[in-house]
Amino acid sequence: MKVLAAGVVPLLLVLHWKHGAGSPLPITPDNATCATRHPCHSNLMDQIRNQLVQLNSSANALFILYYTAQGEPFPSNLDKLCRPDVTDFPPFHANGKEKARLVELYRIIAYLGASLGNITRDQKVLNPNALSLHSKLNATSDTMRGLLSNVLCHLCSKYHVANVDVAYGPDTSNKDVFQKKKLGCQLLGKYKQVIAVVAQAFQTGDLEAYSDPRS
Amino acid sequence: MALFAFFQTILLLVSLSLRTCQSEVLSEPLPLTPESLDVSINSAQRCLHLQWRVHSLAYHQELKMVFQIEISRINTSNVIWVDYYSTTVKWNQVLHWSWESELPLECATHFVRIRSRVDDARVPEPRFWSNWSSWKEVNEQNSLGHKASSVFPVDKLVEEGSNVTICYISRSHQNNVSCYLDGVRMHVEQLDPNVSAFHVNNVAFVRETGTNIFCEMDPKDDAGTVLFVSKVLEEPKDFSCETQDFKTLHCTWDPGSDTSLVRKQPYQSYTLFESFSGEKRLCEHKNWCDWQIAQDSQEMYNFTLVAENYLRKRSVNILFNLTHRVRPMTPKVFFKNISATNATMTWRVHSTGNHRTLLCQIELHGEGKVIQHNASIKVNGEYLLSELEPDTQYMARVHCGDANHFWKWSEWSGENFTTLEAAPSEAPDVWRDVKSELGNRTVTLFWKPLSKSHANGKIRFYNVIVENLDKPSELEPVPIPAPANHTKLALDQCSYRIHVTANNSVGTSPASVIVISGDPGNQVEEERVNVTADGFSLSWKPQSGDVTGYVVEWCDRPQDGSCDLQWENLGPNTTSTVISSDAFRPGVRYNFRIYGISTKRIAYLLEQKTGYSQELAPLVNPQVVMSNLTSHSFTLSWKDYPTETQRSFIRGYHVYLKPKEGQCHPGFEKAALSDNSVCCKYKIDKPEQKTFVVENLQPESIYEFFVTPFTSVGEGPLDAFTKVTTPDEHSHLLIRIILPTVFCVVLIMIVCYLNSQWMKEKCYPDIPDPYKSSVLSLIKSKENPHLTIMSVKDCIPDAIEVINKPEGSKIQFSGTRNSLTETEITKPAYLYLLPAEKNYSGPGPCICFENFTYNQAASNSGSCGHVPVPPTAPSQRGLLTSLENLLKALEKNYMNSQGEIPAGETTLNYVSQLASPMSGDKDSLPTDPPVPALCSEYKMQMAIPLGLASPPLSENSSVSSVTLLDQGDHHH
Repeated sequence: MKVLAAGVVPLLLVLHWKHGAGSPLPITPDNATCATRHPCHSNLMDQIRNQLVQLNSSANALFILYYTAQGEPFPSNLDKLCRPDVTDFPPFHANGKEKARLVELYRIIAYLGASLGNITRDQKVLNPNALSLHSKLNATSDTMRGLLSNVLCHLCSKYHVANVDVAYGPDTSNKDVFQKKKLGCQLLGKYKQVIAVVAQAFQTGDLEAYSDPRS
Repeated sequence: MALFAFFQTILLLVSLSLRTCQSEVLSEPLPLTPESLDVSINSAQRCLHLQWRVHSLAYHQELKMVFQIEISRINTSNVIWVDYYSTTVKWNQVLHWSWESELPLECATHFVRIRSRVDDARVPEPRFWSNWSSWKEVNEQNSLGHKASSVFPVDKLVEEGSNVTICYISRSHQNNVSCYLDGVRMHVEQLDPNVSAFHVNNVAFVRETGTNIFCEMDPKDDAGTVLFVSKVLEEPKDFSCETQDFKTLHCTWDPGSDTSLVRKQPYQSYTLFESFSGEKRLCEHKNWCDWQIAQDSQEMYNFTLVAENYLRKRSVNILFNLTHRVRPMTPKVFFKNISATNATMTWRVHSTGNHRTLLCQIELHGEGKVIQHNASIKVNGEYLLSELEPDTQYMARVHCGDANHFWKWSEWSGENFTTLEAAPSEAPDVWRDVKSELGNRTVTLFWKPLSKSHANGKIRFYNVIVENLDKPSELEPVPIPAPANHTKLALDQCSYRIHVTANNSVGTSPASVIVISGDPGNQVEEERVNVTADGFSLSWKPQSGDVTGYVVEWCDRPQDGSCDLQWENLGPNTTSTVISSDAFRPGVRYNFRIYGISTKRIAYLLEQKTGYSQELAPLVNPQVVMSNLTSHSFTLSWKDYPTETQRSFIRGYHVYLKPKEGQCHPGFEKAALSDNSVCCKYKIDKPEQKTFVVENLQPESIYEFFVTPFTSVGEGPLDAFTKVTTPDEHSHLLIRIILPTVFCVVLIMIVCYLNSQWMKEKCYPDIPDPYKSSVLSLIKSKENPHLTIMSVKDCIPDAIEVINKPEGSKIQFSGTRNSLTETEITKPAYLYLLPAEKNYSGPGPCICFENFTYNQAASNSGSCGHVPVPPTAPSQRGLLTSLENLLKALEKNYMNSQGEIPAGETTLNYVSQLASPMSGDKDSLPTDPPVPALCSEYKMQMAIPLGLASPPLSENSSVSSVTLLDQGDHHH
């Protein structure tokens, strides 16, 4: 529950400032009414693409900053300590329809946003002097919040989807220090891998399907 | 009390006696077996806590016992620890014992058992061990939870330098386990199929965020942990307390190393404890703490400072009397009555309690010096700072300490102040440079800025007063604004006394006086100066009594023409000095002039010296000119080679010569050059000698020479040798003959040229122009209109002589001289011209004649060596020229009028000399063939007999009349 209090709940409160926030978000039927607090921007898809490109361009630097800040043996054992084995990571199908891809993107960004919140919180404790890492984590979280808002707006305005059920990563607050470091590294490795596929999928629209091995 | 003890002992003895009897009866040991053994785990401390009881003891019975405890790891047979614990056991007492494991307890199952034995002197021997308790199993492996593997201890905090054991446990059997401590692989020992461990001795501090430990094995499984290594907590250093106001004690210390670890251990805490009052205070700062002084006038204090972190405590203690720990407060400083040389400093020290006597130190900083004074005060202090320099900034500061029980000085407190200006105290140092030009003198006065100690303020201007000693006049001071250091004066040949003073805002300096004499002064020989490591060492002869001092003058920068005049004043008893300057450069010649200063302040030159601070080898060689080359010698000269601007004194020259045979000439010696070549060298010791004759050379030989100057530090650069080839011995004879001969020939040619007119007149005079002949005037005077000069156009040729010219014949015409030169004579062919009318053969109006003028010229030319001109086709210009000549000839007296021709002579065979196709204007060239015209006005010039006029006719030339198309073709 600590993760909800520390990382996820504030995120959800910001993103879903409405009644019922925090509860699972099922996909609403197309005929359901969908109201947004503000009118969506006209070129929303362009903004989404640009935000994905921005995230993709900074993901590797964030990954490097992270594992460098953890110290040995992380930089020299990336394949073992930072391999992108993240359980319950939302799937993404690049060859799906736009609506489906947007829903999947929403789930991914929600998952990543919560996980980044946990990582940021942990790193501020474990590596209080790694200021550039903190800055990069915060910037990425900010971009993700904007992206999530845009995706939701687009889903709502175009496809009348008001609620999407999301899942979150494991809570790291009760993990030991090494586990926190390792989970964070794995998450950022996964993020670097996924965001590249997602960004390219929305850039071209017809890329080969990225699919989670579990999907 | 003693009675109670006695009864207790009796009771114990009775009881033991009774049990002894029982044991003897039963033949078995006392049943004092530890029971109710309970083992608990403190994983963080790696401790096993044991507790048990001895139920067999009687009520209120106390018995000294010893317990043996065995600890096994993994299985009961693997005993890793045996310990004995002695204590006095009471009835129903719960006994405790702890054991710390070096291996984290999560790593393996531990087993514990215990037995006991009475160890009380009151119990007689033999004493037997009780039975072992049953093994108690202690297992913390359930800490794995759902993980497949783990590394223990988790996030352990240890102190730097301690020993740590790390284990790696997994659910599956381990194979090929590797463990790394901060990337360094460790030696791993397998404890059982699921547990491996490694030891780290003297663990080092790596970073405050912890040291990562990582283990992996095949098949793929890994786990890790972070070991937090703290630095060792140090004892606080320099712990002391003091007061400034008797209200607060300020305690400070040096905390030493920071033992904090991110997330794991905060910064070590510090606590003050005062034993007399029993008060305690947790300090908020890492290196100081304030303690409120109690109102009960406590004098003695005993402080203990305790430093503490999670791993250990350290403490230091001080005991002191409060009055001995007084540090006065920082004084407040003021200045008053500041003059040019004095200032008064006042200060006040606030409340140190009971008006204690203070010792104060005053420091005066100024002009790079520090002067210290002491003063004893109560609260207010005052000190007169005297003997200060005018217009100088000073900094004065003060600090105070308790005079009775000195503990520490207060903080320094100070202020800056500047003394006032005063009039300059010294006359400026003045010198002059005199240049005479066309009866006038330009005197440049130089002065050095006054030193700060003499200027006593900012110099605003200099006053220059020029006083004519020969013609007394009113003196007008000329102010020169500072910071100028020179001025120019235009003076005549009179003597002048010049006064120079420096002025600041307060007053004027004493005057510096210098006299410019009308006497131009004497010339002295220049000498060389000695150079030492300190500079130029100058010395001069002492002068007689009226010298008030000496001045040495030189230019700091003579090399670039700016001079930068420098001088040094010396006393009357000084006859030597050493001149040094940062401006002196190696390779530059410096000239020093030594002047004596008379009592009338007149400077007169005594000596002149020159030298180099460091001589350098010459950079250039002289331009050598070779002359007087003979077969046996030549002369080398380099007259314009400057020696004054050289980088060192030229001591002479080396003449290098590469001889033909390799043998050096007399006077030369063999020498090796810098390029390792060997040649002959001649040394000229006189720098003023700039010519050299190389003799004893072989005729028709090649020699190479090279001249370079040499100095005390070496010779000039090695340049290219110049080659010279000596002529043969007779060449000069030939020159003696050929040159005069050529001269004579040229002379003759010039003479001939100058007398060409005479030669022309003598050898080939011009053909007279008949039109310009005086005969014409004569004819006209006779008013005979029929008499005229024959016009060529009027001539009807009767025959054409065709001259068969072979190609290649050349005829040169000289229009100006009218000369012809034949190079090849060819046989002429004649073409007879038919008369325009057949009946024209008889005597008619046209008479052929022969131009005797032309013949004369031809004969004359023949007499001058000319060969007969062959019949050839002349150029038109040549034709014209010939015509002109002909006309000129006609002008002369060779023309005969027709009327003078006897009638009978008309039958004579005349040969016409003019068969030119010209018609009318002689300047216009005909383009058409000649047109026969009426030949009515030919003037016969001369009638000659046929046989005389022409040679015997050949077969082809038997004509009666021949007209030459070309006037030059007058061959018969």
